[in-house]
Amino acid sequence: MTGIRESGDRTSVDDGLQTNGQGPDGLTEEFVSEWRDSAYGCFSSGHKFCREVCPVMQVTRNENHTPTAFHANIVAMEKGHLAVEDVAEDYIHCVQCGACELRCPNTLFTGDFYRHRTRTVDVVKAMRALAVDSGVEQPNWKRWVEATMEASNEPVVEGVSQERVRDWAEGLDIPTGGETILFVDCEAAFYRTSVARATAMVLRQAGVEFGLMQEQWCCGGPAAEMGYVEHARTLAEHNLADWRSVGATRVITLDPHDYISFTVDYPNYFGDQYDIEILHITELVAELVREGKLELTQSVERVATYHDACRLNKRKGIYKSPREILHAIPGLTFKDVDHVTQWSYCSGAGGGMRIERPEIADEIARRRMEKAADLEIDTLISACVWSERPLSEQGADREPSIEVRDLMELVADAAGLDYGGVQR
Amino acid sequence: MFGFRLQAERPPEPRPVSDGVVMRLDDVYEIDPDRMQIIAQQNMPVSDTLRIVDSRWEHLAWMHDHWADHVLSGEEEEQDE
Amino acid sequence: MSVVALSDSVVDELRAILGSDYVLTNKSSLFNRARVPAPFPVHRWDEHVADIAVLPETAEQVAEVVKLANTYKIPVVPRAGGTGLSDGAVPVTGGILVDVKRMNKILDIDLDDRTVTVQPGINMLKLNEELRRYGVVYPDDPASYPCSLVGGRIGTGGWSLIGARYGHTRDLVISMQVCLPTGELIEVGDGGGRKIRKSSTGFQLKQLFMGHQGSLGITTEATLELVPRPEAEFAAFFGYPDYETAYKSTGALAKSGLASLAGVVLFDEWKVNYLRRDDEAYIPQPPELRCVVAVAAYGTLAETKPASQVIMAIGKETGGNYLGDEVSQGDWASRHDRYATPLHGRTPEGQVVPMSWHCEDAAITYSALPMVREEWHAIAKRYIDDYGVFDDWGMFAYTNGAHKPWGDYLVEIDIGIWEQRLDDAMWEAWVQCKREITEVSLKYGGSITACHGSTREGDAEFVPREMGGGFDVMKKIKRVLDPNNIMNPGKNSLDEAYED
Repeated sequence: MTGIRESGDRTSVDDGLQTNGQGPDGLTEEFVSEWRDSAYGCFSSGHKFCREVCPVMQVTRNENHTPTAFHANIVAMEKGHLAVEDVAEDYIHCVQCGACELRCPNTLFTGDFYRHRTRTVDVVKAMRALAVDSGVEQPNWKRWVEATMEASNEPVVEGVSQERVRDWAEGLDIPTGGETILFVDCEAAFYRTSVARATAMVLRQAGVEFGLMQEQWCCGGPAAEMGYVEHARTLAEHNLADWRSVGATRVITLDPHDYISFTVDYPNYFGDQYDIEILHITELVAELVREGKLELTQSVERVATYHDACRLNKRKGIYKSPREILHAIPGLTFKDVDHVTQWSYCSGAGGGMRIERPEIADEIARRRMEKAADLEIDTLISACVWSERPLSEQGADREPSIEVRDLMELVADAAGLDYGGVQR
Repeated sequence: MFGFRLQAERPPEPRPVSDGVVMRLDDVYEIDPDRMQIIAQQNMPVSDTLRIVDSRWEHLAWMHDHWADHVLSGEEEEQDE
Repeated sequence: MSVVALSDSVVDELRAILGSDYVLTNKSSLFNRARVPAPFPVHRWDEHVADIAVLPETAEQVAEVVKLANTYKIPVVPRAGGTGLSDGAVPVTGGILVDVKRMNKILDIDLDDRTVTVQPGINMLKLNEELRRYGVVYPDDPASYPCSLVGGRIGTGGWSLIGARYGHTRDLVISMQVCLPTGELIEVGDGGGRKIRKSSTGFQLKQLFMGHQGSLGITTEATLELVPRPEAEFAAFFGYPDYETAYKSTGALAKSGLASLAGVVLFDEWKVNYLRRDDEAYIPQPPELRCVVAVAAYGTLAETKPASQVIMAIGKETGGNYLGDEVSQGDWASRHDRYATPLHGRTPEGQVVPMSWHCEDAAITYSALPMVREEWHAIAKRYIDDYGVFDDWGMFAYTNGAHKPWGDYLVEIDIGIWEQRLDDAMWEAWVQCKREITEVSLKYGGSITACHGSTREGDAEFVPREMGGGFDVMKKIKRVLDPNNIMNPGKNSLDEAYED
């Protein structure tokens, strides 16, 4: 094959492409050069099929927050009309759910044919990184990332620390290390520990051997999403080294955000040496149920609908395994909404939105819960622990209230497991 | 087969199927990379390609269902769906 | 960084009307409300930027803004989705850009009288997602269905892919509230009843406020038809060995008299070649297939099933080879998505380059279709050969008349433009190409635009010729309704209304 340049597949500005003392102008020039093909791919089309599926746009109705604008700004920067300072604030308004880039006909209809698709999530990450590298930082993201680097884990509650990262597993006697590691997302490790415990007990029940990391640090995903590429990389390097040091060849993720970090960001950081297999819990559990290794015998008497986690459904195309599991839970009345309709749904929890623009995130969550409530259900089931906090807040606000449960909690209930932990 | 392995994400080499069109994955047509010298192709893992193809079919089914309850067939001796 | 050329007191007054959060003065807000999907002079982007953008929430706010614009003689550019194809929403003389997207509520659903009342910033697909539970649909279905907004559909006089069955935007809007260029809010409909479809009271004002491209006011509310959700959809794609056969088949299908017929579309040889560039989505067809005709029908099963059989019979009797359910159904469901792909652009050497899509549309009678096709392609070829940045993506002919598939056709030639290479010389060449295409439409007794609008350079200068004596009437109306020429000036050659 001749002349193949690989453009637009980096999420970091590194490996010798850094400033060299050129200052913001040099950085912008490099950035525009890297992203101009992507930018023109969108700008030349101008068709905006992204707009109505975007959870942020549904709330703000501000054209500045559209994927169209995110790409057009790069063309405008190339022409000298705009600088990163002019646009940085606009790029806060993205949860990086991936609906836009999937719905875009340049992906959906011809992305596979041309091996060139719309990559709004990467564009947003790259622009945020340019902003940070140019000294334009968002105050709450800056604080969040600094706190993460300080504690090696995200400040999801007061008093997060490395010493307490395994506290959720108390009494479960989970070994350290081994071929298979269970990676327990910060929100599950420190906040909604019922998810972590339920997942661990379900795996054990099904005979899956696994261990925990020696020192589990934040996956680095949020730092990457917010534009703090160096920090994201530091966290990633630590985690990979930890896995290798215990002989791990396989990592199970229980949260879609980690699945994205490990299958999208980490390959970009580490290249061909990255030889760890990553499994997401819903796919694994669906197989265990299918093969009879996990029996779901206890009735779960609920009327429920399922929230397709953005990073599973839109970004990874994982929508069947959660449904397969739900259909296997006895006693459950499952009122489904198809996964294509859910391209325009979101909890608002991703991309740092809750940290920098909580009112927008709250409204996105409120609307998601309202759609669920229309179905006359008592339970909204999610497979993303990050979505569960905002959705729970909205569900509790309603009359009658709607409970938000994690899929693994219900699997554990159906398997007759008493997992405990804190559920909120 | 599920899960992520970087090694399995590298697409196979292309084989020509017609003028300007190649195939790497079964039943997935692609442009001959020689035609993309001015605008470069992207690094697209296998799972991404498959996600796009699956999503397209799902979207088409959704668009039919959005407009009508039944899609009629034009082929002889077939009942409508 | 602000580029406001308006005085601080004007900006303060706008903030008082809308709230500071919804008065945008920074560059990214203005640069991102400049273009529409039509080819855009990227190299002169800063000439098409408003001075300020406002995001109203209510009709009253719109009215206050327009009144203020009249007081200070500041141009107003209304913008709904910004997905039009004739630059109606593109600022040409700066001013206040009124972006109505925040006005996207459903105000009333009346299942007894079959109407839904909405604000102009709502998208039809999202509206229909809400209406589905009631078993009704608002069947305004353009290629931009997933993204265009009701206000823009009214402003551009939109056309629907299923208009032969359900009508186009102007047939589906029963009445609306309009903010006049002088700031009054009035109701226009068929007569005065909000939900009345046919009246003989007074003048027929509603059609005046359709397709004016924002030059006669801003729609602030619209009451729309609710149609029973179709039980059945049928789409059939036929292949033909030559244009003549496909053309005759098109006529036979369009004149079939079937009530559930929603549209007939003729794809010429250039269009089929363009679609062949993407073999994957368009299942490879033999080279003998030169043209395609697509037919769609919607309605109850009782009507649509027999209609589908008639359509199949006519298609085959007139030389069509049915391409199968998979192609037919898949391509029909793709109707919004497949026809403007940037990477389908090719240099003369066959290299892929991202091209912007220009869709030159006209309304042409059936009898003139073959000649218009030949002459348009000949024009395109000259410009492609001379400039190397254009590409011929082929022609469509769609049944045009609302509920009247037997009549005229929306004819489009799709030209790809390598926007990254545009400079003044090529832009001028492009406009000249458009003028030549437009001359052909007029030569054959057609209309220079079936649906996109005539606001752009390359079309606008022909409006007086096409309208004849009607152009004087247009100017009079414009002058009376908009005495200060603030409502989207510079469009449709209507600045001439103010030349004394």
